[in-house]
Amino acid sequence: MTAENSSNPVLLDWQERVVAARLERDPQSIMDLIPYASFIGAETKTEDNRVLYWLDKRPSNIGNPSLPAIHGGVIGGFLELSATIEAIYSLDIIDMPKVVDFSLDYLRPGRFKTIYARCQVLRQGKNLLNVSATAWQDDEQIPIATARCHFLI
Amino acid sequence: MAFDMTMALYRPALRYALQHNGHGAALGITLDRLERGETYLTLPYSEAIVGNPITGVVHGGTIVSLLDTACGCAAMTILKRPSVTPTMDLRLDYMRPAQPHKPIHVEARVYRQSSNVIFCRGLAWQDDKESPIAHCVANFMKVDSTSIQFRSIAAKKLRRLLPWSQRPLNREDANR
Repeated sequence: MTAENSSNPVLLDWQERVVAARLERDPQSIMDLIPYASFIGAETKTEDNRVLYWLDKRPSNIGNPSLPAIHGGVIGGFLELSATIEAIYSLDIIDMPKVVDFSLDYLRPGRFKTIYARCQVLRQGKNLLNVSATAWQDDEQIPIATARCHFLI
Repeated sequence: MAFDMTMALYRPALRYALQHNGHGAALGITLDRLERGETYLTLPYSEAIVGNPITGVVHGGTIVSLLDTACGCAAMTILKRPSVTPTMDLRLDYMRPAQPHKPIHVEARVYRQSSNVIFCRGLAWQDDKESPIAHCVANFMKVDSTSIQFRSIAAKKLRRLLPWSQRPLNREDANR
Protein backbone atom coordinates (compact mmCIF):
# COMPACT_ATOMS: atom_id res chain seq x y z
CA MET A 1 0.00 0.00 0.00
CA THR A 2 2.79 2.45 0.94
CA ALA A 3 4.75 1.64 -2.22
CA GLU A 4 1.63 2.11 -4.28
CA ASN A 5 0.89 5.42 -2.57
CA SER A 6 4.36 6.80 -3.08
CA SER A 7 4.25 6.01 -6.78
CA ASN A 8 0.95 7.76 -7.37
CA PRO A 9 1.82 11.27 -8.60
CA VAL A 10 -1.75 12.56 -8.13
CA LEU A 11 -1.77 11.53 -4.47
CA LEU A 12 1.71 12.97 -3.89
CA ASP A 13 0.68 16.26 -5.47
CA TRP A 14 -2.47 16.30 -3.29
CA GLN A 15 -0.50 15.65 -0.10
CA GLU A 16 1.99 18.37 -0.96
CA ARG A 17 -0.76 20.93 -1.54
CA VAL A 18 -2.62 19.96 1.65
CA VAL A 19 0.52 20.33 3.77
CA ALA A 20 1.20 23.72 2.15
CA ALA A 21 -2.39 24.84 2.84
CA ARG A 22 -2.07 23.91 6.52
CA LEU A 23 1.20 25.82 6.82
CA GLU A 24 -0.17 28.90 5.12
CA ARG A 25 -3.48 28.68 7.05
CA ASP A 26 -5.31 28.79 3.77
CA PRO A 27 -8.19 26.27 3.61
CA GLN A 28 -9.38 27.83 0.34
CA SER A 29 -6.46 26.23 -1.50
CA ILE A 30 -7.77 22.78 -0.45
CA MET A 31 -11.24 23.81 -1.59
CA ASP A 32 -9.80 24.80 -4.99
CA LEU A 33 -8.59 21.23 -5.53
CA ILE A 34 -12.15 19.90 -5.41
CA PRO A 35 -14.14 20.59 -8.60
CA TYR A 36 -17.51 20.17 -6.82
CA ALA A 37 -16.70 23.22 -4.63
CA SER A 38 -16.54 25.54 -7.63
CA PHE A 39 -19.57 23.81 -9.14
CA ILE A 40 -21.78 24.94 -6.24
CA GLY A 41 -19.69 28.05 -5.49
CA ALA A 42 -18.46 27.23 -1.97
CA GLU A 43 -15.69 29.32 -0.43
CA THR A 44 -13.82 29.37 2.87
CA LYS A 45 -11.47 31.43 5.00
CA THR A 46 -9.93 31.38 8.46
CA GLU A 47 -11.32 33.79 11.03
CA ASP A 48 -9.90 33.94 14.60
CA ASN A 49 -8.47 30.41 14.35
CA ARG A 50 -11.78 29.01 13.18
CA VAL A 51 -12.76 28.21 9.64
CA LEU A 52 -15.82 29.86 8.11
CA TYR A 53 -17.46 28.42 5.01
CA TRP A 54 -19.94 30.21 2.80
CA LEU A 55 -21.98 29.61 -0.31
CA ASP A 56 -22.97 32.63 -2.39
CA LYS A 57 -26.39 32.63 -4.01
CA ARG A 58 -26.46 31.29 -7.54
CA PRO A 59 -29.36 30.56 -9.91
CA SER A 60 -27.97 27.05 -10.51
CA ASN A 61 -28.43 26.20 -6.80
CA ILE A 62 -32.16 26.85 -6.70
CA GLY A 63 -34.39 23.90 -5.87
CA ASN A 64 -37.82 25.46 -5.84
CA PRO A 65 -38.02 28.28 -8.40
CA SER A 66 -41.37 29.62 -7.20
CA LEU A 67 -40.24 30.63 -3.68
CA PRO A 68 -37.21 30.79 -4.59
CA ALA A 69 -35.41 28.48 -2.17
CA ILE A 70 -31.96 26.90 -2.26
CA HIS A 71 -32.05 23.18 -3.14
CA GLY A 72 -31.95 21.03 0.01
CA GLY A 73 -29.40 18.79 -1.67
CA VAL A 74 -27.10 21.76 -2.26
CA ILE A 75 -27.25 22.62 1.46
CA GLY A 76 -26.44 18.98 2.22
CA GLY A 77 -23.64 18.87 -0.32
CA PHE A 78 -22.21 22.14 0.98
CA LEU A 79 -22.24 20.89 4.59
CA GLU A 80 -20.67 17.58 3.57
CA LEU A 81 -17.99 19.46 1.65
CA SER A 82 -17.37 21.79 4.60
CA ALA A 83 -17.04 18.83 6.97
CA THR A 84 -14.55 17.17 4.60
CA ILE A 85 -12.45 20.33 4.30
CA GLU A 86 -12.56 20.78 8.09
CA ALA A 87 -11.29 17.21 8.56
CA ILE A 88 -8.49 17.57 6.01
CA TYR A 89 -7.44 21.03 7.15
CA SER A 90 -7.57 20.71 10.92
CA LEU A 91 -6.34 17.13 11.34
CA ASP A 92 -3.25 15.36 10.15
CA ILE A 93 -4.85 13.22 7.45
CA ILE A 94 -2.87 12.44 4.33
CA ASP A 95 -5.53 10.77 2.16
CA MET A 96 -9.04 11.93 1.29
CA PRO A 97 -11.38 10.89 4.17
CA LYS A 98 -14.18 8.53 3.12
CA VAL A 99 -17.72 9.45 4.10
CA VAL A 100 -19.52 6.55 5.78
CA ASP A 101 -22.78 8.24 6.66
CA PHE A 102 -24.28 11.66 6.59
CA SER A 103 -27.32 12.85 8.48
CA LEU A 104 -28.99 16.16 7.83
CA ASP A 105 -31.78 17.99 9.65
CA TYR A 106 -33.51 20.84 7.88
CA LEU A 107 -34.64 23.43 10.40
CA ARG A 108 -35.70 26.30 8.19
CA PRO A 109 -36.02 26.85 4.44
CA GLY A 110 -32.84 28.09 2.75
CA ARG A 111 -33.77 31.41 1.22
CA PHE A 112 -32.03 32.80 -1.86
CA LYS A 113 -29.15 34.36 0.11
CA THR A 114 -25.61 33.51 1.15
CA ILE A 115 -25.39 30.46 3.43
CA TYR A 116 -22.66 30.34 6.09
CA ALA A 117 -21.39 27.25 7.88
CA ARG A 118 -19.08 26.25 10.68
CA CYS A 119 -17.86 22.75 11.48
CA GLN A 120 -16.55 21.02 14.57
CA VAL A 121 -14.66 17.77 14.88
CA LEU A 122 -16.50 16.10 17.76
CA ARG A 123 -14.38 13.00 18.01
CA GLN A 124 -11.32 11.62 16.32
CA GLY A 125 -10.77 7.90 16.76
CA LYS A 126 -8.20 5.62 15.23
CA ASN A 127 -10.33 4.90 12.18
CA LEU A 128 -13.44 6.98 12.59
CA LEU A 129 -14.08 10.69 12.68
CA ASN A 130 -17.27 12.47 13.75
CA VAL A 131 -17.77 15.98 12.39
CA SER A 132 -20.79 18.21 12.93
CA ALA A 133 -21.69 21.14 10.70
CA THR A 134 -24.21 23.95 11.15
CA ALA A 135 -25.50 26.29 8.46
CA TRP A 136 -27.15 29.68 8.92
CA GLN A 137 -28.08 32.72 6.82
CA ASP A 138 -28.74 35.90 8.81
CA ASP A 139 -27.83 35.01 12.35
CA GLU A 140 -25.54 32.29 13.63
CA GLN A 141 -28.03 31.69 16.46
CA ILE A 142 -30.78 30.86 13.95
CA PRO A 143 -29.48 27.82 12.04
CA ILE A 144 -31.19 26.63 8.85
CA ALA A 145 -29.69 23.13 8.89
CA THR A 146 -27.43 20.93 10.97
CA ALA A 147 -25.49 17.91 9.76
CA ARG A 148 -23.48 15.13 11.30
CA CYS A 149 -20.95 13.20 9.31
CA HIS A 150 -18.84 10.07 9.94
CA PHE A 151 -15.58 9.66 8.06
CA LEU A 152 -13.30 6.66 7.72
CA ILE A 153 -9.65 7.67 7.84
CA MET B 1 -53.51 -0.42 -14.24
CA ALA B 2 -56.13 2.25 -14.67
CA PHE B 3 -55.24 5.56 -16.24
CA ASP B 4 -54.18 8.00 -13.54
CA MET B 5 -55.11 11.55 -14.51
CA THR B 6 -53.16 13.24 -11.70
CA MET B 7 -50.00 11.36 -12.60
CA ALA B 8 -50.45 12.18 -16.28
CA LEU B 9 -50.43 15.86 -15.30
CA TYR B 10 -47.62 15.53 -12.78
CA ARG B 11 -45.17 13.79 -15.10
CA PRO B 12 -44.54 16.59 -17.63
CA ALA B 13 -44.71 19.26 -14.91
CA LEU B 14 -42.15 17.56 -12.68
CA ARG B 15 -39.97 16.63 -15.66
CA TYR B 16 -39.91 20.27 -16.71
CA ALA B 17 -39.26 21.51 -13.15
CA LEU B 18 -36.41 19.02 -12.75
CA GLN B 19 -34.63 19.14 -16.07
CA HIS B 20 -34.91 22.83 -16.95
CA ASN B 21 -34.65 24.62 -13.61
CA GLY B 22 -32.02 25.45 -11.06
CA HIS B 23 -29.87 22.73 -9.61
CA GLY B 24 -31.45 19.80 -11.46
CA ALA B 25 -30.57 21.39 -14.79
CA ALA B 26 -27.06 22.25 -13.56
CA LEU B 27 -26.43 18.62 -12.58
CA GLY B 28 -28.06 17.28 -15.74
CA ILE B 29 -30.49 14.99 -13.91
CA THR B 30 -32.97 13.10 -16.07
CA LEU B 31 -36.32 11.80 -14.87
CA ASP B 32 -36.59 8.22 -16.09
CA ARG B 33 -39.84 7.09 -14.55
CA LEU B 34 -42.46 8.54 -12.25
CA GLU B 35 -45.28 6.58 -10.67
CA ARG B 36 -47.41 7.32 -7.62
CA GLY B 37 -44.91 7.27 -4.72
CA GLU B 38 -42.04 6.09 -6.91
CA THR B 39 -39.32 8.03 -8.73
CA TYR B 40 -36.38 6.95 -10.91
CA LEU B 41 -33.64 9.43 -11.76
CA THR B 42 -30.26 9.26 -13.51
CA LEU B 43 -27.24 11.49 -12.97
CA PRO B 44 -24.62 11.49 -15.76
CA TYR B 45 -20.93 11.61 -14.81
CA SER B 46 -19.22 14.95 -15.29
CA GLU B 47 -15.78 16.33 -14.41
CA ALA B 48 -17.34 19.41 -12.78
CA ILE B 49 -18.89 17.49 -9.88
CA VAL B 50 -15.80 15.46 -8.88
CA GLY B 51 -15.28 15.46 -5.11
CA ASN B 52 -12.15 13.36 -4.83
CA PRO B 53 -9.44 14.70 -7.16
CA ILE B 54 -7.25 11.65 -6.39
CA THR B 55 -9.69 9.07 -7.71
CA GLY B 56 -12.07 11.18 -9.83
CA VAL B 57 -15.17 10.00 -7.96
CA VAL B 58 -18.16 12.40 -7.85
CA HIS B 59 -18.73 14.28 -4.59
CA GLY B 60 -21.12 12.80 -2.02
CA GLY B 61 -23.06 16.07 -2.14
CA THR B 62 -24.33 15.26 -5.62
CA ILE B 63 -25.72 11.97 -4.28
CA VAL B 64 -27.38 13.95 -1.46
CA SER B 65 -28.96 16.27 -4.07
CA LEU B 66 -30.01 13.37 -6.24
CA LEU B 67 -31.62 11.36 -3.44
CA ASP B 68 -33.24 14.44 -1.90
CA THR B 69 -34.76 15.30 -5.29
CA ALA B 70 -35.92 11.74 -5.92
CA CYS B 71 -37.49 11.35 -2.46
CA GLY B 72 -39.07 14.81 -2.73
CA CYS B 73 -40.63 13.94 -6.09
CA ALA B 74 -41.93 10.63 -4.76
CA ALA B 75 -43.42 12.41 -1.73
CA MET B 76 -45.09 15.02 -3.93
CA THR B 77 -46.89 12.43 -6.06
CA ILE B 78 -48.54 10.94 -2.97
CA LEU B 79 -50.46 14.11 -2.19
CA LYS B 80 -53.99 14.55 -3.43
CA ARG B 81 -53.51 18.22 -4.28
CA PRO B 82 -50.30 19.77 -5.62
CA SER B 83 -48.35 21.38 -2.78
CA VAL B 84 -44.84 21.61 -1.38
CA THR B 85 -43.22 18.92 0.72
CA PRO B 86 -40.31 20.42 2.68
CA THR B 87 -37.67 17.94 3.84
CA MET B 88 -37.48 17.41 7.60
CA ASP B 89 -34.38 15.27 7.65
CA LEU B 90 -32.31 13.02 5.49
CA ARG B 91 -29.89 10.28 6.43
CA LEU B 92 -27.50 8.80 3.93
CA ASP B 93 -25.31 5.71 4.24
CA TYR B 94 -22.53 5.29 1.71
CA MET B 95 -22.10 1.58 1.30
CA ARG B 96 -19.36 1.47 -1.32
CA PRO B 97 -17.42 4.10 -3.22
CA ALA B 98 -18.88 5.19 -6.55
CA GLN B 99 -16.87 4.47 -9.68
CA PRO B 100 -15.82 7.36 -11.92
CA HIS B 101 -17.05 7.80 -15.53
CA LYS B 102 -20.33 5.97 -14.90
CA PRO B 103 -23.83 7.38 -14.44
CA ILE B 104 -25.60 6.99 -11.10
CA HIS B 105 -29.17 5.66 -11.01
CA VAL B 106 -31.52 6.44 -8.17
CA GLU B 107 -34.80 4.99 -7.03
CA ALA B 108 -37.01 6.51 -4.33
CA ARG B 109 -40.16 5.10 -2.76
CA VAL B 110 -42.69 6.30 -0.23
CA TYR B 111 -43.13 3.51 2.30
CA ARG B 112 -45.49 5.13 4.76
CA GLN B 113 -47.54 8.28 5.04
CA SER B 114 -49.22 9.57 8.15
CA SER B 115 -51.44 12.63 8.51
CA ASN B 116 -48.46 15.00 8.74
CA VAL B 117 -45.35 13.13 7.63
CA ILE B 118 -44.31 11.22 4.51
CA PHE B 119 -41.57 8.59 4.99
CA CYS B 120 -39.34 7.81 2.00
CA ARG B 121 -36.50 5.45 1.19
CA GLY B 122 -33.99 5.88 -1.60
CA LEU B 123 -31.33 3.76 -3.25
CA ALA B 124 -28.43 4.76 -5.52
CA TRP B 125 -26.53 2.30 -7.71
CA GLN B 126 -24.29 2.21 -10.79
CA ASP B 127 -24.00 -1.20 -12.48
CA ASP B 128 -26.06 -3.47 -10.32
CA LYS B 129 -29.05 -2.55 -8.21
CA GLU B 130 -28.18 -5.45 -5.89
CA SER B 131 -24.89 -3.75 -4.91
CA PRO B 132 -25.97 -0.16 -4.20
CA ILE B 133 -23.53 2.67 -3.53
CA ALA B 134 -25.82 4.53 -1.13
CA HIS B 135 -29.06 4.17 0.75
CA CYS B 136 -31.09 6.99 2.24
CA VAL B 137 -34.07 7.61 4.47
CA ALA B 138 -35.84 10.95 4.20
CA ASN B 139 -38.92 12.34 5.93
CA PHE B 140 -41.09 15.09 4.53
CA MET B 141 -43.71 17.36 6.04
CA LYS B 142 -47.15 17.67 4.48
CA VAL B 143 -47.82 21.38 4.08
CA ASP B 144 -51.31 22.67 3.48
CA SER B 145 -51.36 23.90 -0.08
CA THR B 146 -53.73 26.81 0.60
CA SER B 147 -51.08 28.65 2.61
CA ILE B 148 -48.65 28.62 -0.31
CA GLN B 149 -51.08 29.18 -3.15
CA PHE B 150 -50.39 32.11 -5.41
CA ARG B 151 -53.76 33.67 -4.62
CA SER B 152 -53.27 33.80 -0.84
CA ILE B 153 -49.67 35.04 -1.14
CA ALA B 154 -50.74 37.77 -3.58
CA ALA B 155 -53.64 38.78 -1.31
CA LYS B 156 -51.28 39.01 1.67
CA LYS B 157 -48.84 41.19 -0.29
CA LEU B 158 -51.68 43.38 -1.57
CA ARG B 159 -52.98 43.88 1.97
CA ARG B 160 -49.55 45.15 3.00
CA LEU B 161 -49.32 47.50 0.02
CA LEU B 162 -52.78 49.06 0.12
CA PRO B 163 -53.42 50.95 3.36
CA TRP B 164 -57.20 51.34 2.73
CA SER B 165 -57.72 47.62 2.32
CA GLN B 166 -56.09 46.93 5.69
CA ARG B 167 -59.03 47.84 7.93
CA PRO B 168 -61.93 45.96 6.31
CA LEU B 169 -59.83 42.83 5.92
CA ASN B 170 -58.69 43.00 9.53
CA ARG B 171 -62.29 43.47 10.72
CA GLU B 172 -63.33 40.50 8.68
CA ASP B 173 -60.59 38.45 10.34
CA ALA B 174 -61.67 39.64 13.79
CA ASN B 175 -65.29 38.70 13.13
CA ARG B 176 -64.24 35.12 12.46
